[in-house]
Amino acid sequence: MRPARAKWPKKESISDPRAGAVRPPSTMSKEAQLSIAERDFILEALREDLRLDGRQHDDYRPLDISFGEEYGHVKLQLGKTHIIVRISAEVTKPREDRPFDGLFNINLELSAMGSPAWENGRTNDIEAYATNTLDRIIRHSNALDTESLCILKGVSCWAIRADVHIVDYDGNITDAACIAIMAGLQHFRRPDAVVRDGRVIVYGVEQRVPVALNITHKPLSVTFNTFNDSKHVIVDATLKEEQAAEGDLVIGINSAGDICYLSKYAGAPADAMAIVNKTNVAWEKVKEINAAVDKVLQADLAKRAKIGMADESRAENDRLIQIE
Amino acid sequence: MSAPLVLLPSDEVPKDHLPTNSSNPLRLGPGLRILSQPSSKGTNHVLTATQAGLLTTDAKRNTVSLLSFPNRRYIPTVNDFVIAQIHHSSVDFFHCMVTPHTAHALLGQLSFEGASKKTRPMLKQGELVYARVQSVGLGAGAEVELTCVNPATGKADGGLGPLTAGMVFDVSTGMAARLIRASSSSAENTDAIDGLVVLSELGKKLESLGGFEIAVGRNGKVWVDCSNAAESAVKVTIAIGRCLQETDQQNLHTHDQKKLVTKILRDMKLVS
Amino acid sequence: MVGPIASLSQLNRADGSASYKCPATGYSILGAVNAPIELPARRDALKPEEATVEVFVKPGTTTAGVGERYAEGILRSALGKIVLGREKGFPRRGLVITLTIVGGENVERGDSYLTILPALLHAALLAMVSASVPLSMTFSATLLGVTKSGDIVRDPSPTAAKAAVSLHAFAFSSKNHLLLNESVGRFEFDTWELVRERALSICQGATTSTDGDVTMGEGTASASLNGFIRETVEDQIYSDYAYKLDSI
Repeated sequence: MRPARAKWPKKESISDPRAGAVRPPSTMSKEAQLSIAERDFILEALREDLRLDGRQHDDYRPLDISFGEEYGHVKLQLGKTHIIVRISAEVTKPREDRPFDGLFNINLELSAMGSPAWENGRTNDIEAYATNTLDRIIRHSNALDTESLCILKGVSCWAIRADVHIVDYDGNITDAACIAIMAGLQHFRRPDAVVRDGRVIVYGVEQRVPVALNITHKPLSVTFNTFNDSKHVIVDATLKEEQAAEGDLVIGINSAGDICYLSKYAGAPADAMAIVNKTNVAWEKVKEINAAVDKVLQADLAKRAKIGMADESRAENDRLIQIE
Repeated sequence: MSAPLVLLPSDEVPKDHLPTNSSNPLRLGPGLRILSQPSSKGTNHVLTATQAGLLTTDAKRNTVSLLSFPNRRYIPTVNDFVIAQIHHSSVDFFHCMVTPHTAHALLGQLSFEGASKKTRPMLKQGELVYARVQSVGLGAGAEVELTCVNPATGKADGGLGPLTAGMVFDVSTGMAARLIRASSSSAENTDAIDGLVVLSELGKKLESLGGFEIAVGRNGKVWVDCSNAAESAVKVTIAIGRCLQETDQQNLHTHDQKKLVTKILRDMKLVS
Repeated sequence: MVGPIASLSQLNRADGSASYKCPATGYSILGAVNAPIELPARRDALKPEEATVEVFVKPGTTTAGVGERYAEGILRSALGKIVLGREKGFPRRGLVITLTIVGGENVERGDSYLTILPALLHAALLAMVSASVPLSMTFSATLLGVTKSGDIVRDPSPTAAKAAVSLHAFAFSSKNHLLLNESVGRFEFDTWELVRERALSICQGATTSTDGDVTMGEGTASASLNGFIRETVEDQIYSDYAYKLDSI
């Protein structure tokens, strides 16, 4: 089920924008507009290869990931963009047409917490755009093997849900959310379930060691923003940089270099070679970030293992949840 | 003065914390209100806090006020200097944004130094002006009015008027207030004002590069222009912006501000 | 017993923010306040001379439903009582409070939302204080459960809350007004009175009850909730104004 390098770019490339694509937000929601002075200055600085926070054009902001008490609870900070992802699982009935598959959904709902420009309880175009991109990079590339979520064919399966909360918004939510969701899926442990005599038994976390999800590969998105007729391209734009940009190029790629998503909706036409170059940049970034995530993940799991051993000695009563 | 006192909403201001200067009437700053207690001890008034903050008094001006959180949203107050962004214009007014997601403030088309129907500035959407809050109106739905002239002199005192070129940086409203106090004090003062040395330090170090111009808006915006620095103008501007924002966000002490200035200027290869 | 954990002003975009975690019930809430801002579609609010308070509760791992809407209604009326919506800059503007449940179990459909109300209220209050919203007073809130044997349990865990005969959420203002009184289950009025006294002593730390057994400990050893709110706010003010305090 690995995405083939050759297959995906063709299918999802610029030449075919019809494939259920959502246009990127033309006007940045109701975010206050950038002043002329700010826009001109950002563009002028890029001509001198300078960014407002002193970064190089292909530098990410400092990335900080930590995990909460529950499995699959990720707190991620990318500069001043702050995201919380929570992964949850419940037993449900599989879809009629996919009896062997479990369900996996990414849920992103913007609230006024992330930015005063976002109205509570009302969807906006950033939400639709980001959800679509995340779906395509993580869900459609089958990063989480949904077949492994099947419990009993056609009767019951796991539904895995990733809830993304944008808590503080300073640009580049796609990349940040991608990293946080992938970290969450790797961190999450679902309860163990078995089938006995045609009945599904779900064991409580106290009874059986909960099970890690089956991750087939770790794709992440790398978003480039273009300026000055595509002459200047930067990664991980802040909100102000995004507002001054003329277009973006999103590349979804995993550590092995397989591209699973590519989009470029707006801005001056980009040279094919430039995109190939940027793909290499993206690949390097994804390898770097995945390694960083791995490190935090291992440290957290090691910490839990220590606590877990202490807990085991005072195991709780058996509690069975039975599901027909 | 007694130990620093933090008040929470509904806390009373203790009598011994009030300034004792009786030649002027006592004036209240934001975050405080008078509640009268008709029943007890005749017509005694009680001052209570409506926000959380640090109680500060000024004996000379006989004022008492509450310093609340520096990250709060700016609420227009008469005579404040603000940096406003033109949103659109109508026959008589420029409609300006002072803080995002609030109603536009009005700036008269003729409220500029020496402006007449023929000479008034033609400002476009997205341009910036340095303006003063003239009135905030009374009651619900009142409009905020701005002006770019001092009504008494008809002059653009304090650099009021359109801000061209340069760059605007966002800081907290608390930081903006401190910067205004620091930059309005006597020019040669190198001591820390309100715990800020970042401006004077930058001024000293950047003098050789032509110095810089700065305008601070109480609404949390700082305009910086370094056109004197010729080819390094962009670099100098970025350096100043980073110094101000980092001082603000990390709440740096004076010695750390000096270190920060040295570090950033060296990072950007502006001084050796 | 482990006390709550809270901190202020950790978000950049919101005008005010706070996080509140109650280890006993496991709930962890992140609150953000934007105020005063223009509310788009509600220009002609019912009370034009006041600020409109909006509350939005966002569950951590599900989509918001009727339970959240119900809690929002309770929060809106409780918080609306202490907001001074006529102060400068506030009339006809909006005060938007967004509360995200970032930790703890979900309140499942059909379960009582009372268990999470105190944590939501504290996060909302601290976020409003952090945004410098004018308030007439502060408050603190607590959840008490009455077990089958008639014991009163403070901050019952989700499992204990399910097993309880009745649940009571109380909020008392810093001036001892009863701001919120929500109960579920079967209980006698005498029980309610006992629970109320216990709640008051938890919030105020004052030993108002003559019955020494009920209020023992909370007034002194583990400090009152009002005291906790005060300390949290003071800590943030002291750190924000460190530059000023050093020179004094």
